Amino acid sequence: MMRKILLPIIFSFLAYGFWISPNFKEIAAGVAIFLFGMLALEEGFKMFTGGVLESLLRKTTDKLWKSLSFGVISTTLMQSSSLVSVITISFISAELIPLTAGVGIIFGANLGTTTGAWLIAGFGLKVKISAYAMPMLVFGVILIFQKSKGLKGIGYILSGLGFLFLGIHYMKDGFDAFKGTLDLTTYAVEGYPGIFLFVLIGLLATVIMQSSHATLVLIITALAAHQITYENALALAIGGNIGTTITAIIGALGSNVNGRRLAGAHLIFNLATAIVAIVTIHQLKDAVDGISNWLGIADDDHTLKLAVFHSLFNLIGIVLMLPFINMMVKVLTRTIKPRELTSAQPRYLNTANNELPDTAIEAVRKETLRLYDNASEIIAGGLSLPLEGILSETPVEEIVAKSRKPVAIDIDESYNQTVKSLYGEIVQFISMAQTTMQPDQSNELFSLRAAGRDIVEAIKVIKHLQKNLATYLVSDNEHMRQEYDLIRTRLASVIRAIEVVRQREDDDSSTVLSLDAQKLAMVEYENSLDIQLNSLIRSDLITPAMSISLMNDSGYASDLTKNLIQMGEILFSTGDMGLRDAERSISLDEDEVDELLQETKHTN
Amino acid sequence: MNIHKLIKKTEAFLNSDERKRKQKRKYLKEVIHKLKKHEKALKVKLDKESSGGAKEELEKEIALVRAQRKKGLKNLKALKKVPTGK
Repeated sequence: MMRKILLPIIFSFLAYGFWISPNFKEIAAGVAIFLFGMLALEEGFKMFTGGVLESLLRKTTDKLWKSLSFGVISTTLMQSSSLVSVITISFISAELIPLTAGVGIIFGANLGTTTGAWLIAGFGLKVKISAYAMPMLVFGVILIFQKSKGLKGIGYILSGLGFLFLGIHYMKDGFDAFKGTLDLTTYAVEGYPGIFLFVLIGLLATVIMQSSHATLVLIITALAAHQITYENALALAIGGNIGTTITAIIGALGSNVNGRRLAGAHLIFNLATAIVAIVTIHQLKDAVDGISNWLGIADDDHTLKLAVFHSLFNLIGIVLMLPFINMMVKVLTRTIKPRELTSAQPRYLNTANNELPDTAIEAVRKETLRLYDNASEIIAGGLSLPLEGILSETPVEEIVAKSRKPVAIDIDESYNQTVKSLYGEIVQFISMAQTTMQPDQSNELFSLRAAGRDIVEAIKVIKHLQKNLATYLVSDNEHMRQEYDLIRTRLASVIRAIEVVRQREDDDSSTVLSLDAQKLAMVEYENSLDIQLNSLIRSDLITPAMSISLMNDSGYASDLTKNLIQMGEILFSTGDMGLRDAERSISLDEDEVDELLQETKHTN
Repeated sequence: MNIHKLIKKTEAFLNSDERKRKQKRKYLKEVIHKLKKHEKALKVKLDKESSGGAKEELEKEIALVRAQRKKGLKNLKALKKVPTGK
């Protein structure tokens, strides 16, 4: 509702402004070009998120000072704290980094974003910035048309910077021309009412533009043209700092509990810093004067002094909040609780993750793991075996021998409740995420989708098996009981082998390739069953109908094994994408397994 | 160096098949190395094992790892540098 009204109001306000003042049009166009530049810049950096940024983030966030520095440096380089926030939120919701590290990055990003003020005040206003913008745009656009992802990324970054510079130029020109016609400083409000009013204006401007950076440029250019007073500019900067958290909050709405906690930390930090800055604004002004003197900044150079102020109050915020970071994380963990999730609801898939290819892949992998967890409950039930038993270290034969009571599980119902909708969500997420991906990244997603398909197939197979398994579990015919126990043992062994691979910790012996042993064991079982069936029928120990059931069900067991192993090979291979591909490329296919079996027979 | 050449060089570096091939070989070598290590460890285990059943299982596992390693070496050979014909 609010959104529906807000847009027409903004449009009408802007249209009226354009009608009465061409200078206002120039300033607004400057803001628009600047924001477009930010979008291009973000697009450019996203092109490089296919590994470099992610691996850097993972490596550089294990200690608080590291995550803090990462926040400062990455935001300084990218000149966008919102991009850093979005990346951090997506990493946290995919559980790739802990909340404390995320909070550290956000704190650092707050300081990093102040470098923008320095760049604009120190460089953007002193030189004819449009002179740099033009060649950047030309080179940038040429590079955007190149096929290579890397060159395209550089192109977007270059043209993004070009647009930023051009935007600043228009804003500067607009305010300069404004000076002749209208003096906005007549609207300046003195004292605390003025501070509160301008904090609110700064906040609103940032919420509307979704960029504290744009607000800051607007403030600095207006300040340079003497269209606002220095005091009011300081208040606007404080407002902009609070407003920027709105972007993070909006980004976190669709994310999981940790993403929301991080947005909470962001809000607490910026709000607390703003309160401290408002309360101590006069002392801060004195401190800024002192620092400016020391740095050799002229007394009337208010734009650079604003940059000093912006950095100073964010730095004070960090110094004040840093000792409480762990407490803050604890309080946030306690107050922001996870939404009650049923096992059928996705936990890792959210739109923030959708933005970054590697994180999206990791989110899909984790969600498919949950799908497998739900499915293995059903499969174990179908085998009339306890899942904890299968996953324990007790010999599988022992578990099978002990579990003699058929488990009454409605596979269809369980499938509909815990697997179907979750798989649907995964498939939908993949379709949306893969549009922005490179071919090898989409291939990885398609493999994961196939792994999900294998899980669904496995449930269908266990449904076919369930009836006979339950019947012959308590059969009077000892031979049939034994044969069906063999099937249960075989399948339970496959589930356990998958669990071993899943739980491994850098143990060379249990890579996904070790799952090939289960393929071999299944073929061996099928071969021995053929011999066994002949002997049982010949000796009249089972009826022909029984032998057909057994043959069909061993076929199902073989299908189930294939489904589970294929799934395991995709889901549990870890490390770089290249390493995973290499591992998968040398796992043995059916013919190779047969060949190996022949070879081992000959040698024995 | 003119811009065109520079763009070409950068592009070649960022996106070349050659780089992909080299990377594939590197990863494959890593996996083969892991398998070799694993095979050695299994052989040591086999030497120490006295029970017949366990010995047979270990022998099977060794044969499997060897088959995978062989396949890896075959793939590695196929990824050897092909002359570009220039």
